[in-house]
Amino acid sequence: MDKRIANPEVMAGQIKKSEELFRILFYSSPIGTYIVQDGDFQLVNHRLARILGYEEDELIGRRSLGFVHPEDRNTVKGSAERMLKGDHSLGYEYRIVTKQAKVKWVMETVAPIFYQGRRATLGNLTDVTEHKRMEERLRQITAEMQRSNNELEQFAYVISHDLQEPLRMVSSYTQLLAKRYSNKLDADADEFIAYAVDGAKRMQVLLHDLLEYSRVGTRGKPFTWVDCKEVVEQTIANLKIAIEESGASVTYDTLPAVMGDEGQLVQLFQNLIGNAIKFHREEPPCVHISAQRKQNVVAFSAKDNGIGIDPQYRQVIFEIFRRLHTREEYPGTGMGLSICKKIVERHGGHIWVQSQLGQGSTFHFTIQVAEGKSA
Amino acid sequence: MNSQRVGRPIQILLVEDNPGDARLTLEALKDGKIQNRLYIVNSGMEAIAFLRRKGKYADAPNPDFILLDLNMPLMNGSQLLAEVKQDSALKHIPVAILTGSQAAEDIARAYNLHADCYVTKPIDLEEFIMAVKSIVDSLLNQREIADGGRVIG
Repeated sequence: MDKRIANPEVMAGQIKKSEELFRILFYSSPIGTYIVQDGDFQLVNHRLARILGYEEDELIGRRSLGFVHPEDRNTVKGSAERMLKGDHSLGYEYRIVTKQAKVKWVMETVAPIFYQGRRATLGNLTDVTEHKRMEERLRQITAEMQRSNNELEQFAYVISHDLQEPLRMVSSYTQLLAKRYSNKLDADADEFIAYAVDGAKRMQVLLHDLLEYSRVGTRGKPFTWVDCKEVVEQTIANLKIAIEESGASVTYDTLPAVMGDEGQLVQLFQNLIGNAIKFHREEPPCVHISAQRKQNVVAFSAKDNGIGIDPQYRQVIFEIFRRLHTREEYPGTGMGLSICKKIVERHGGHIWVQSQLGQGSTFHFTIQVAEGKSA
Repeated sequence: MNSQRVGRPIQILLVEDNPGDARLTLEALKDGKIQNRLYIVNSGMEAIAFLRRKGKYADAPNPDFILLDLNMPLMNGSQLLAEVKQDSALKHIPVAILTGSQAAEDIARAYNLHADCYVTKPIDLEEFIMAVKSIVDSLLNQREIADGGRVIG
C-alpha cells in the first residue's frame, strides 16, 4: 500500500487543495454551471444565479425546466436529450425567463454525470442575449437593404421600360416632321425640329442605358463556368468596327476561367475596351488585358494608352450618368462604367482605376472564384 | 411590290388602342409605298366583332392579315390572338404582333399562340417604316408559299 495516500494528514491536505480548486473554478466561473438531478437544481454557481436573476439558494430544489421560456421547453428537452446521448454539437440556444420576468437568450451544453452515486446532468450556460440582439438587428438591416435595393432596381426597370412608349411617340413624330417638312418651313423651324429630334434621340439612349443598368440586377443569368479568353475574343469581335476605324490593337495574356454570367462579362469587357478605344490620344489606341489569380480571387486589368483620368475623378466616374467631357468631345451617356461596377459587384468583386491625366489608364477589377475550383 | 402581286390594295386590320401608334403605322405604310386599305379598331372586342362581322361591322371585309398590339386594356393582344387562332373560320389569317414589348415572355407566348410574326416597335422612324414593310412582305410571301405559289386575291 502507498504510504503517502494511507497517511490521513496528507489525504486531508489533498482533499482541501482540490476543494479549493473546485471552489475557484465553480464559483467564479464566467459560465453559468449547474447540476440537475431528477429535474431539480442540486448545485448552481454564482454566474448561473446571476443570469436567472436569483440568489443561489433560491434555486436549489427548483425544477430547472421552470425557468425555460414556455414556448422553448419542448425543444430544450429534445436538444438536451440528444446531447446527453452523445451528440457532440456546439450547444443549443433557447430563451429563459428571469425572476424579473425578463426574457434572455442563452446557449447551453449538457453532459451526463454521476452525482452522489446517481445519474445527473451537468449543464453550462452562457448569456447570448446581446449577440442574439445584434444578429437579429443585422438580419433586419440586411433584409431591409435587400428590399430597398430590389425596389430601386425594379423602379429603374419600370421607369426606363414604361417611358419608352411615350418617348417613341415624341421621337417618331418629330422625325416624321423633319422628314416631311424640313426645307418647307423657314430656317428657324428646321432648327427647332432638329433640336427636338436630337433631344428625343438622346433621351432614348439614356433610357436604353438605364434599362441595361437595371437589368444587371433584375435580369442576370445564373453563374456558369466561363472561359475569359472566349469572352475577350467575343468582345473583340463585337468591337470590330471601332477597332478597325481607330486602328486600335487589343492584346491579352493567358486568361483564366471564372464562375460568372457570360453575357454580363462580355458587356463588362466591351465597356472597358470600348472606353479605352474611345478615349484615345493622337496615336492609335493600345489596350492590353491581363489577369492574375490570388487565392480565390482573379484580378483582371485593362491597360490603355489613352487620355487618362485626373485622379480626383477616379471615384465619380463609376456613378450613373457621370461624364467628364461634353457630348461634342466624346459622345455617351455616362452609364458604361456604372454598368461595369454593377456587373463586377454582382460577381463579388471590386473595380477601380489607376490613372494620371495624359498618361493612359489601367482599370482593375476582381472576380470571386468559387471555393474549391481551380481557375 | 407585294401590293401589285395581289392585284388590289392589301386589306389590313390594325388592332391598336393608341391613336398615335395607329397613325404612325398608317404613315409608315404610306411611306413604304404599300397599296393598302387599313382598318383600325381600338380593342380586342372590336377586332372580334370586325372579324365575325357583328353589328356595325356587318359589311367588313376579310383582312389579308392582322397587325396586333399586345398591350391593350380589357381583351389584350394575347387573348385576341388566342381567340383568332382557335376559330376555324379565322385561324388562316396571318397575325403579326407589333408591340412595344421586348420581354422574352411576351415573344414566347405570342409564338406559342401561333402568331405568324413578332416585331418590337423600333424607336427610330426609318426603322419603324422598314419594320412595317418587312412584316407586309413576309406575311404575303408566307401566303404565297402556303397557296403553292399561286397568287390569291
